[in-house]
Amino acid sequence: MDLKQLTDIDAISGNEGALRKAIMEAAKPLCDELYIDRSGNVIATKHGTDDRLPHVVFSAHMDEIGFLISGHTDDGLLRIMPVGGIDPRVAVSKWVRVGKDNIPGVIGAMAIHLQSPEDRQRVLGFDKLFIDIGAKDQKEAERLCPVGTYAAFDTPYTPFGDGFVVSKALDDRVGCFNLLRILEGKYAARVTCAFVTQEEVGLRGARGAGYSLQPDIAVVLEGTAANDVGDVPKRARVCEAGQGVCVSFMDGASMADRGLYKTMLSLATSEGIPHQVKRAVTGGNDAGAYQRAGMGARTVVLSVPCRYIHSGASVAKVSDIDAQFALSQAFLNNL
Amino acid sequence: MLIEQFLREVTAIPGLTGSEQEVARYIADAFAPYADEVRIDSVQSVIARIRGDGPKVMFAAHLDEIGLMVSAIEEDGALRLGNVGGVDPRILPGMVVTVLGRQKLKGVIGAKAIHLLSPEDRQKNYKREDLYVDLGLPYDAVAENVHVGDLVQLEQRFVELKNKRFATKTADDRACVAIMYRAMQLLKGMRPTADLYFVATCQEEIGCYGAVTATYGVKPDFAVALDVCHAQTPDAPRSRTQELTSAALAMGPYLHPVVRKKMADIAERINVTVQTDLTRGSTSTDADEIAVSSGGVPTALLELPLKYMHTTVETFDLRTLEETARLLAQFAAEADASWEDELWT
Repeated sequence: MDLKQLTDIDAISGNEGALRKAIMEAAKPLCDELYIDRSGNVIATKHGTDDRLPHVVFSAHMDEIGFLISGHTDDGLLRIMPVGGIDPRVAVSKWVRVGKDNIPGVIGAMAIHLQSPEDRQRVLGFDKLFIDIGAKDQKEAERLCPVGTYAAFDTPYTPFGDGFVVSKALDDRVGCFNLLRILEGKYAARVTCAFVTQEEVGLRGARGAGYSLQPDIAVVLEGTAANDVGDVPKRARVCEAGQGVCVSFMDGASMADRGLYKTMLSLATSEGIPHQVKRAVTGGNDAGAYQRAGMGARTVVLSVPCRYIHSGASVAKVSDIDAQFALSQAFLNNL
Repeated sequence: MLIEQFLREVTAIPGLTGSEQEVARYIADAFAPYADEVRIDSVQSVIARIRGDGPKVMFAAHLDEIGLMVSAIEEDGALRLGNVGGVDPRILPGMVVTVLGRQKLKGVIGAKAIHLLSPEDRQKNYKREDLYVDLGLPYDAVAENVHVGDLVQLEQRFVELKNKRFATKTADDRACVAIMYRAMQLLKGMRPTADLYFVATCQEEIGCYGAVTATYGVKPDFAVALDVCHAQTPDAPRSRTQELTSAALAMGPYLHPVVRKKMADIAERINVTVQTDLTRGSTSTDADEIAVSSGGVPTALLELPLKYMHTTVETFDLRTLEETARLLAQFAAEADASWEDELWT
């Protein structure tokens, strides 16, 4: 599966079914064991040839940020609540797909002509944002999109600029994409790729995977926030798109194993893989779950820098996605 | 061409205020099969005429669209933005825009990352000055293709919602250009006697300039401006909005009561529902300027209700649009010299 196919599928946290099915199909010919665990994670394992080597789990999350339909207005609009961290300021005047039938919808807002000066200042919270599917009244809206229906941003995968792509859900379809690429290789060590659920709502799927797999080493493939354009001073940049895979020494949820962190940096250098160190302790990801699940695991995070990460239109550079894969593979080949 | 196809195409073509050539050409070509003559005037308004011996009647809907302009190029290649018309900055973050540089370039509108904002700034909307276009290109490549002053077109998607409702950018006012287009199609099967002018005006969004020059060019006896009005959305004051599902006829001092009454009477007779949009002065449409141009023109204003005006998801009801076109065609077919005698009674 390519990255476009992966981002085209909607998988809001807790509703990863469609993507799980697609990944199961894609992984099937590539691995020796394949199953869905009790947290809904897809676990794909390749047997190694040398059992003295440690068992490595590579992990990426399937889920993406989005919305739940929470109610309906008299005039047929859908009330929404965010799933995962979405800044409501990126939702106005955007396109969404609602429910299993992919009903097209838009998020409108009161016209600028009707806004008071205070309205222009005020951020429209999710209690003031609505999806319009064109339903003529409350009854029709309820019938088409009952409470609990999921809705996803509809931002088509579009290449632009010098090797960049814009799409919804690059966080973390880039990781899922690279897990599938890892499964295509042959390795001496036993390797498991875990496509996990519910990262965006509290690193929940990975807790189950970490507990039942009990890996020696967990490498988390993620997308992380890049803030390198728009006149941001160098010192404030967390990481930069186009500068390679981003290795974290620490973030808001976990502490990298120092040995793994150093190994990753020296391997990247010796193999000539573009890389950078994540220069701020921000965000958090499944490494936090793996590090402390069961008896714990040594963890490290390799991230693709993504601009505008928690909006409907995230941006990444293809060469960074390739660097994440290259470093993952180099690590497996040098255990 | 079916009205849906016309709408899909006409809303996609760039025509930012002051740079309307491309969309003017498209509209002129689309109007041509239904008109006796079509011309584009010196400021890029399209004037299509169906010749007749009766009074000159002008219909006008504007063809220009709001958008953005490159105001500066940062050292990292990010483009800073100025306004062309009244763009609500709240709609911009996360939008995929087209920069009309030496070539058309796709870019994403970015904002300062939330973790770099103070807690107070997180409670405020982004201002246009805080935003930028990310072209995914280094400075040199940007500078080669883009100059300060280049235009930026907002994201275009033509989305069909339920109940024949459509969401698109630039429904303001090309949905009303589509009403004229559909009315011209309908007039093919009718026998109008008036001398009819269907005008797609330029430069409305910055002050209705194209309407002024077109009125001087046509010198109509009566006119009907067509524009969008606000349909009801949450939080909007009910007193300033209309139902989405039927046309509105404006009423107020800027508009001529008799021309208005002719339209209202015809609507009633042919069973087209019209609402009343009361304005106490300026209507902020071409009607304001047409009425006082070229010595004065008795003018009515016919409106299509639109949700989320000046966003990229402006939403209208196609059945309302079609009913409005049916009314307009009937009005055009009935326009008669005898109306002149009733004007000031």
